Amino acid sequence: MTATVGIPPAVTEETAAFWEAAAEGRLLVERCAGCGAESFPPYGMCRACRSRAVEHVEITGRGHVYSFTVNYQRWMPGLEVPYALVLVEWADHPGVRVFGRLRGCPPEDAAVGMTVEVGFEPGPGGYAVPSFVAVADVGDGIGGTGDGGE
Amino acid sequence: MGGELFERRAVISGVGQSAIGRQVDRSGFQLTLDAILAAVADAGLTLDDVDGLAMFPGGGKANVPGYANGDLYEIQDALRITTSWRQGIVEGMCLPFYGPAMAVATGQARHVVIWRTVKEGSAARNAGGRPAYGSTNPTAAGPLAWLLPVGALSPVCQIAPYATRYMHEYGVTREQLAWIPVTQRAHAALNPDAVYRSPLTVEDYLASRMISTPICLYDCDVPADGATAIVVSAAETAADLRAPVAIEAMAGVVDGRPSWEQWEDMGRVGYATAAAMWARTDLRPADVDVAEIYDGFAIEAVWWLEAMGFCGPGEAGSFVEGGKRIGLGGELPMNTWGGQLSGGRLHAAFGHTAEAVRQLRGECGERQVAGARVAAVTSVGGYEAGAALLTRMP
Ligand SMILES: [Zn+2]
Repeated sequence: MTATVGIPPAVTEETAAFWEAAAEGRLLVERCAGCGAESFPPYGMCRACRSRAVEHVEITGRGHVYSFTVNYQRWMPGLEVPYALVLVEWADHPGVRVFGRLRGCPPEDAAVGMTVEVGFEPGPGGYAVPSFVAVADVGDGIGGTGDGGE
Repeated sequence: MGGELFERRAVISGVGQSAIGRQVDRSGFQLTLDAILAAVADAGLTLDDVDGLAMFPGGGKANVPGYANGDLYEIQDALRITTSWRQGIVEGMCLPFYGPAMAVATGQARHVVIWRTVKEGSAARNAGGRPAYGSTNPTAAGPLAWLLPVGALSPVCQIAPYATRYMHEYGVTREQLAWIPVTQRAHAALNPDAVYRSPLTVEDYLASRMISTPICLYDCDVPADGATAIVVSAAETAADLRAPVAIEAMAGVVDGRPSWEQWEDMGRVGYATAAAMWARTDLRPADVDVAEIYDGFAIEAVWWLEAMGFCGPGEAGSFVEGGKRIGLGGELPMNTWGGQLSGGRLHAAFGHTAEAVRQLRGECGERQVAGARVAAVTSVGGYEAGAALLTRMP
């Protein structure tokens, strides 16, 4: 895959683990050592109980699309359009939502509630950035009614 | 509840604007001076009365293309005044007059001028298109790290999924939403200072190019050049002022998750702010004569109609359909200057505030809402939201 066009992330103490795992194609979020709640983006603090004792957990399962857009505007030189951007949530990972491009289907096939696999793709600045791969079957219905784990 | 509210100790005394257009060939500094001088004269004051200066945003955002406020201290130096209160902010800029009202209500200043100057029309032209937000920085810091690397390169792409979700949940259609830009264009035709004044139809809207679905060209505000200045004065100076307008109530609440991609549902971004504002007044939505509600994108105006209680959740599509209710002569004339969609992106409700003040004074000529006594003003930038009611002085 050729790298997508965008602005590379500024990596911080809070986000270094995320971007290092991203380079290996793994999606890491924070998980509270005390109450077990998951949080994203990483702040070094549990958003459920405010504990500072957070560790990381990898998300591997299928998510569903909370919502999407198909971008047609060439915001930067060399940006290939159109492409779909999806906000993805996981029924078994409440508190986590991740933005990324959709792959594996034409952009106009993006739909609320559709099922996606976690993926990464080469992005700007040599970083692997979150993206999602459409799963062949139709959406499982989770998320299409506002009950997607929130 | 009256007397104890701090906003009742402040009035909006003046509004002024520079030339406004897609491209105005003067520096941001000159546009700023034009607007300040006009606003101070409009208030019935002189520069020597001004003891507070503020601008939005402050210096921290100066690297965004087309942000052209100038330097606050250079402006003060040029005006040759002394200030006892100054402010330049991004965070907390829920409404243009919020901070200045706090300053005059607490005696820190008597007459504060706040301004917003944009040259985004020129910046977009020079860049060969509207530049990506934050693209002048080499890396995406803070919350932008989850947006710009993955291709969500503009607020359009960032807000669009919430518009998709809103339309999906409530069955609202583009044919309905078209009536916001179409109606506002009809208002702009009656505003000599509006950027776009030629007629726009629903067919034009539906045929326009898509930017990021479901947001098309006419859903986006128009990058413009121009400056707006607002004078906020201590209420006890009212006798010295030409035509002050009262601040009945205002609030700015940030709740939920203040993030472009983590907000549970950005369609409800104004709900807490509107509720806090209504709790500060005995007036009700039905008392509002004219609504100047933020329309950086048309969908934001949709959400404000619902948040403010002008219609119920999910009802804004049918509320705006046909344009009768939100047009001049309707039950809630909305964005009577054309809004940012046609009047120009004057940003952060500076244009909306100027129009609300002029409507309450009866200064709007052909687009005047007859007998307007109560105006709603709202602003939103992602999750930073503000809502106010302005009223004609007794
Ligand atoms: Zn916890």
